[in-house]
Amino acid sequence: MEVSKFAIPEIIFGRGSLQYAALCARRLGAEKVLLVSDSGLEKAGWVQRITEILVEEKLSWVYYSDVESNPRDHQIQKGAKFYREQEADVILAIGGGSPMDAAKGIAVVASNGGRIQDYEGANRIHHPLPPMVAIPSTSGSGSDITQFAIITDVERRVKMTIASRTLVPNISIIDPLILLTKTPELIVAAALDALSHAVESYVSKISSPFTEMQSLKAIQLIMQNLTAAVESRSIENLEQLSIASTAAGMAFSNAGLGAEHALAHSLGGMFDTLHGLVHPVLLPSTMRYNLPACTEKTAEIGRILLGKKLRSARSTALAGIEHLEEYCVSFGVPLKLRDIVPDCTKLPELCQMAINDVCLLTNPRPATWEDLLQLCEEAW
Amino acid sequence: MESKPTLEDLIGIEYAKLGFFREVQEKIAELHASNLELARRQREIQAILNGITDVMAVVSMDLQVVSVNHVLRDVFGEAEPEGKRCYQVFRQVSQPCTDCPVITAIETNHVCRRLCIFPVAGKNRHFEITASPLLNCDGDVCNVLVLKRDVTLEKEYQAKYYMAEKMATVGVLAAGVAHEINNPLTAISGFAEGLKRRLPKLKDRAAPDVFQDFNEYIGIILKECERCQEIVQTLLTFGRHKSSEFTPVNLNTLVIDTFKLLRHHLKLFPEHVLTMELNESLPLIYGDASQLKQVILNLILNALDAVRAKGAVAIRTSPLNDIWVGLAVEDTGCGIHNQHIDKLFEPFFTTKPVGKGIGVGLSTCYNIVQSHGGEIVVSSEEGQGSLFLVKLPRKGGPW
Repeated sequence: MEVSKFAIPEIIFGRGSLQYAALCARRLGAEKVLLVSDSGLEKAGWVQRITEILVEEKLSWVYYSDVESNPRDHQIQKGAKFYREQEADVILAIGGGSPMDAAKGIAVVASNGGRIQDYEGANRIHHPLPPMVAIPSTSGSGSDITQFAIITDVERRVKMTIASRTLVPNISIIDPLILLTKTPELIVAAALDALSHAVESYVSKISSPFTEMQSLKAIQLIMQNLTAAVESRSIENLEQLSIASTAAGMAFSNAGLGAEHALAHSLGGMFDTLHGLVHPVLLPSTMRYNLPACTEKTAEIGRILLGKKLRSARSTALAGIEHLEEYCVSFGVPLKLRDIVPDCTKLPELCQMAINDVCLLTNPRPATWEDLLQLCEEAW
Repeated sequence: MESKPTLEDLIGIEYAKLGFFREVQEKIAELHASNLELARRQREIQAILNGITDVMAVVSMDLQVVSVNHVLRDVFGEAEPEGKRCYQVFRQVSQPCTDCPVITAIETNHVCRRLCIFPVAGKNRHFEITASPLLNCDGDVCNVLVLKRDVTLEKEYQAKYYMAEKMATVGVLAAGVAHEINNPLTAISGFAEGLKRRLPKLKDRAAPDVFQDFNEYIGIILKECERCQEIVQTLLTFGRHKSSEFTPVNLNTLVIDTFKLLRHHLKLFPEHVLTMELNESLPLIYGDASQLKQVILNLILNALDAVRAKGAVAIRTSPLNDIWVGLAVEDTGCGIHNQHIDKLFEPFFTTKPVGKGIGVGLSTCYNIVQSHGGEIVVSSEEGQGSLFLVKLPRKGGPW
């Protein structure tokens, strides 16, 4: 077996764990917190709640909210400037993937200087970051757990992947109660993101026993709880989705992802496509493409999706993929690439860009941009 | 991107979450190094300050001593002058001095130089004081740097130089005058002698009382002429810079010879008024024996004059160091008035009543000793006595 590594932040999990946010920040040396979030969280009242907690702990804070879906490079630069001007210390992010990735980017530029583009790739950060506390508001992105930050380079229209162990937040506070304010659409999108994390990390070239068990557990919990969570929005089901998302995050932070995420990042960069919408479209096609390289593992996923084993590994795997497609249909999400991409003439360019994505490194089956194009055409 | 990430990069076994500890360690090491460097520079600057041989002090606007160099501690005997007022340290007074150069420097924002005389450890010292304002980064005066250069020695040398010049001038003058007076004086005394020889011939022709008067007057004229000649002779000796032959002489022998000359004179004084302590291993000196005897004679006569009926005079010879041989004439007499000390060696300065001396004795001594490359040092306390120390270079010394 290859030498592997498994690293995750401190995880504080449970209903109401949000109340420890300020305490955690103080423990990391906070005197003046930079709070990063977005307008959605403001509207839901969570930003207000966090500031109250900070005030109770007698911490001063400044608030940065210039973050949108697929956070932009200039928003990072502005945030870092704000951080330095305000002489803030600990960075506290609450939100989905975008505010958390933005917070990571701000941390990098604030302490390492330069432009966020300078850190694109793996392990290019050389100075310690400000302490970070991440509070996920969706059970999907896993950014509160992982060593990745995805930032959009507006000029190049590329979603840059920045990978570094130092991007792992110091503390992740996961409070399922926050999910109660989410719409069913958001819950589905986030859960399918988590599912794709789990699937891709499971078949990754560098998966390890420690990531594999997290991946499978995540798939199992999502299959068991997502439908019920959307229907009932009960805290019990939402909590299980939180666990699933966190488990998937642990897996892919250490095992990486694959071709599906490489394409998803390119889509986000070129068309600003919402990340959560990409997975029902691309995940089944990617699994089919990868099948020859990881039949047994895909069969294991199929076994969980189906709840049973078929005669052969291959047939179990294929049946599982079909089941996944049907499952997505049940949530009424778009299933074809044409539904989310305006123009098919851009597909070659898209695939040539995806070839350079870090995620493709860990894909179980090697892929050229033509392979990816074929994959996209299948999904069209 | 410089290089494409690899699988190993993603696994990142050699990469961990970066902590601040290393940065802190590096910062501490950096600070430590710069601290050492600062300490080294501090020592360098201190060494420079300690190398300054003048008294140095930094004084604040309210005249408080901020820092000093070691010369100040040594000269003023203050172990910890910092924090005290400058006037307490320098003059042991409780009020700022009038005409303080520091205050002037603060007021004018210019360097202020003064020459001051004040006592240090009981002795008057000449100091050349420089007070320069030290500016802070805003260009305002925050402290004053005070440098005090002890110029006592320079001033002494300067005084000696003036003295020597004066002596030389007076000497030439005196010799000239003496020479001019000598001729008429010779005529007066010659004709007075002639009158005296012819006087017996008048004895029968003149009335006895007139004759008697003539006889007496001529006697007085001759006697006074003789005195004048003596004075003229002294003046000529004083003014003349005889380039006499120097030979190796023993000061002890000179003292004993002089003592013999005085034996008659000493009968007027109590017994044992004069004591001698002659160092037997006294090195020889180069000199003119008769001139030096004149010096010794002069000093002893002065001392005897000072003690009069009570007190004693001691004569000592001793090698002072590798260069000097000393002859000390010490008396327990009346001492010398403070005001007179500086004028002692000036020609024609005398405290004796008219007719008892013309004030060229000590200045002659001065000239003789100086022509021998030596010097005379006087210390005296009124009512207690005086000490005249003649320092002469020993044979084979630098002169």
